[in-house]
Amino acid sequence: MPDQHQPELKRSVTPWGSFSWGYSDVGADIFVGLGLVLGAAAGASNVAFLFAGIVYVCIGLAYTELAATYPVAGGGQYFVMRGLGDFLGFIAGWAVLLDFTIDVTLFAWSCVDYLSEVIPQLLNPIHPWVHFIAVFALIAGLCLLNVLGVRESTTFNGVVSALDVISETSILFFGFLFAFRPELLVHTMTTQWPSTFNLMLGASYAIISFVGLESISQAAQETQRPASIIPRTSIALILTILIYALAYSNLALGMVPWHQIPADAMGHAQTLWQWLGNNDNNGKAVALLAKEVPYFGALAALYVPILGAILLLISSNSGVFGSSRIAYAMANAKLLPSIFQRVNRRFRTPAISIVAFCAIAVVELIFAAWPSLDPGAAAFYAKFFHGEGGIGFLGDLYAFGAATSYSFVFLALIALRLNDPLSPRKFRIPLNIPLTYKGERVLFPVIGVLGFIGILSILVFTIITHDLGRIAGPAWLILGFIIFVVYRRSKGLPVFGSAPHDWRHEQIGILRDAGELELMDEYLARLKEREPARAAEIG
Amino acid sequence: MIAIDPIGALIAAAIVLAVIATLWWMLHPPISKVQEIARDAETELERMVGSIIVVFSENIASQHMMALAAKLAKGERSELLAIYVVSVPYSLPPDAEMTDEERRALDALGAAQAIAAKADINLRTETVKARSTKQAVLDIAKRERANLIVLGSFREGKYTGAPLSRTIEEIAAEAKCDVIIGVEGKHGNLLVDQLGFEQTEQGETAP
Repeated sequence: MPDQHQPELKRSVTPWGSFSWGYSDVGADIFVGLGLVLGAAAGASNVAFLFAGIVYVCIGLAYTELAATYPVAGGGQYFVMRGLGDFLGFIAGWAVLLDFTIDVTLFAWSCVDYLSEVIPQLLNPIHPWVHFIAVFALIAGLCLLNVLGVRESTTFNGVVSALDVISETSILFFGFLFAFRPELLVHTMTTQWPSTFNLMLGASYAIISFVGLESISQAAQETQRPASIIPRTSIALILTILIYALAYSNLALGMVPWHQIPADAMGHAQTLWQWLGNNDNNGKAVALLAKEVPYFGALAALYVPILGAILLLISSNSGVFGSSRIAYAMANAKLLPSIFQRVNRRFRTPAISIVAFCAIAVVELIFAAWPSLDPGAAAFYAKFFHGEGGIGFLGDLYAFGAATSYSFVFLALIALRLNDPLSPRKFRIPLNIPLTYKGERVLFPVIGVLGFIGILSILVFTIITHDLGRIAGPAWLILGFIIFVVYRRSKGLPVFGSAPHDWRHEQIGILRDAGELELMDEYLARLKEREPARAAEIG
Repeated sequence: MIAIDPIGALIAAAIVLAVIATLWWMLHPPISKVQEIARDAETELERMVGSIIVVFSENIASQHMMALAAKLAKGERSELLAIYVVSVPYSLPPDAEMTDEERRALDALGAAQAIAAKADINLRTETVKARSTKQAVLDIAKRERANLIVLGSFREGKYTGAPLSRTIEEIAAEAKCDVIIGVEGKHGNLLVDQLGFEQTEQGETAP
């Protein structure tokens, strides 16, 4: 826990703020993911989204239970550390850090791409330096916004998330109302069913569309009454994103476009979903789909590129938020140097963490943009990275980091159910098997096992199919391991073992600080019943 | 002309309803026990301060409580009445002229008006002649349907060390509404000072 004299993070995030932190991260993913999935899974895109969506629901439920039970900044990293020990907690946290820093760069990059629809000077292939400077400026601006304080950032996210919810719902409403033909959907699914490999490839892209739920957990320590609010915001986010993903994919496969779809480069006629999924268009599939909605498309063509850019910007912002806060939590837990837990006295935000991880995001930006800025680098990338620079490079790492951390989170969920049955769970994942473990009645989470199998299969598939992900992802983990070993040894702490933790005492503090006094009473009552001496000591 | 498919229309409606229902459910979480207590306290305060009477008399010094009442009234938009009770002894007729006492009443109520003006609220004032201060206060409280009577402490209490006189105790015991009694401590004129008033040696305020 932080020093008593250190200023602590403000509890200023409201239910909508909590939702919008998650939405701003996940909501933008469909803008990038829809076209990729259509290109890979063709007539089974909706099935790919459904498969990934089921895994995502399991992930979401796991995060919901854990974040409501342990409402502290740190999210997945904290849950894994608490359930599986310091070392694996660090690995999970380090993988999430990779995702969040990439989140900053990837979505800032995509934001500028969307803006290039209205400002041609920002087109990366034509003006790579302008594009690079614009992305850099966005990252720097978001860094400043977050240093100034979470309230400002939360307000920003909240407004844009509200606008996007209205917009996406409108696109889907008018799309289904005016242009959806069920018989066309059935026809496309029947005649354009992909190979198993392509279906799995589509599913691996689809899971990228659901990454970002971590943000809600990350904000737990700043959320008002987190044990009560987070289950609601998480479930609402899961349902909203699932509705959008399934609706968009089904609409794309069963929609009659308003205009004639252009022929492909070879002069062959294309259907709507083929047009959305080809390499030229898959980065802006939502904008193109919206444009093809009768009547409403005329308006959508004007604002969707702008809204897409804004949403991608706040998604980038949530990466800044997430990375700084997970570093704060890891430093608190002595997994990273204590400099990352310092809270700025004036702004009461973890300013050093924010600046440090934005700097890493800039390094990733340089690495991604290098081939477009320097022809020599392009040749180097072509030789060693299969020519996949830019967003492709970032996307590979994004999938790797998410699947790695989520796998550990499922294991942590199971371990905590077995080892910490006394902590009150205001939300519990359904479908449990009652067991007796170490003399305690525990509930074994079946969905945790199913979710672990699901996400592990996606992790394995990501490693098999993504050339850069399987190189750079493990390389990032090795780098983190080296930092971890050096730091832990310098502090005289075990590398593979865990530092001593008084979890029960800490749990009392967590619930008290969260304002969840009734849960604190419940926890103390259980402790008194099971371990009277320990309860008296804590009390 | 675009033909609308019934299934498409149904799905479109379902999407909108599902999104709205989900967000509405999210934004209306159950309140905690602590929040319930806070809400009840706020409701009670609103009820309590609907109509406030601040009492002055020869023996009751209430200037500091007037400042508090003004702040309460401003926050809760209450009706505020300041009364000065001139006690007429039985040796005089009920409508006897009490020149010195009535002059003090003008000072006290004038100061109350100044405090109210500073706090930007409306204040009614009234000077009442009565045989019994207690009965006069209770009668006016009944007439005004007051929710709260605000009283200062016994003027001689500073010297005697007993801040509550018999009159104050009887008002508190017999009033049909809530009563706040502000005992002026060593620094009990803090609220008045904040509003820019000086307290005189006699415990009266002047702008």
